Amino acid sequence: MQKKLTMPKLRPEMEKGVLCAWLKEEGEKVEAGEPVFEVETDKVVQQIEASESGILSKQLAEEGDEISVFDSVGIIDT
Amino acid sequence: MPLPEKKPDWLKVRYNAEAVNEVAEIMRDLNLNTVCSEANCPNLGECYRKHTSTFMILGNICTRNCRFCNVTTGRPLAPDPKEPENIALAAKKLNLRHVVLTCVTRDDLPDEGAEQFAKTVRAIHKQCPGTTVETLISDMKMNTDALDIVLESKPDILNHNVETVRELQKKVRPQADYERSLNVLRYCKQKGFITKTGFMVGLGETEQQIDRLLDDIMDTGCDILTIGQYLQPTPAHYPLDRYATPEDFARYKKAALDKGFRHVASTPLARSSYRAWEVLEGVNDLY
Repeated sequence: MQKKLTMPKLRPEMEKGVLCAWLKEEGEKVEAGEPVFEVETDKVVQQIEASESGILSKQLAEEGDEISVFDSVGIIDT
Repeated sequence: MPLPEKKPDWLKVRYNAEAVNEVAEIMRDLNLNTVCSEANCPNLGECYRKHTSTFMILGNICTRNCRFCNVTTGRPLAPDPKEPENIALAAKKLNLRHVVLTCVTRDDLPDEGAEQFAKTVRAIHKQCPGTTVETLISDMKMNTDALDIVLESKPDILNHNVETVRELQKKVRPQADYERSLNVLRYCKQKGFITKTGFMVGLGETEQQIDRLLDDIMDTGCDILTIGQYLQPTPAHYPLDRYATPEDFARYKKAALDKGFRHVASTPLARSSYRAWEVLEGVNDLY
């Protein structure tokens, strides 16, 4: 099954976030709870964890892209 | 020294949306605020995953306008009479061993919000026997009648943050007062409570000023200290001066312990309620 990996809403007023780094390559195995990508906020860098285990089959965003909250940044084949 | 373009590695934190949503839903259902969310705390992901949070009572609008703080300033609403019971219910649902209660500063209320604090402490003690409670209070304008109301509810730890060194108080927290904050800590200690305070670094303070701050806090008899990195919530807030390194924090910790503090949490992401239950376990001999 394909599961979408989305830009989380890290604070109530957040509308968009910059994906500053991928921590997994396309085709790489991902365990639930493992960080997959990073989003920089005003205060810190948040490492966003996968909610399910699988293969990161597709990166839909590049490092440096600004993504609206809840929009897909990648796909995990579970 | 200019600030680095990239955030230092020690400011990376983990975030799990499902775990965060689970706790956020409990709070939403019970109409509760957490300082974790209102202050955009960097530790929210870790704490919510561990099913812990710091409740913020008396609404989410503060009467003061501290320049470091992300909480909204304005005219607050009347206190929610259901809030004390709802917090006790949430503490039960989350199975909390230790509850930290903080508040927005309510300069508009004659009792400074003390009664709501006391009702909440009592509700938790009643609903969750064995759970310890830490009250992270405002300075309550050093109104001793108000402080007595809070203390009579018997919180296990009385916490009040001095936030920064003497020299930066007026710039960083204009409606507060350094001596007044120290006097709050002194008063609560004299009443026999375990006291705790905290401050941030990275606002432009010097090493000498930090050393004097440690002496001034120690002079109140304070037991527990937290030291953390100031993180600028938005570009409109007080400007960040520097990122202190983990080695700096280790040095501050040693200095504080050498001066006689019983427990010191000093790391970049230490916050006054971060892992507060561990701190309590560390000072159990004070009972």
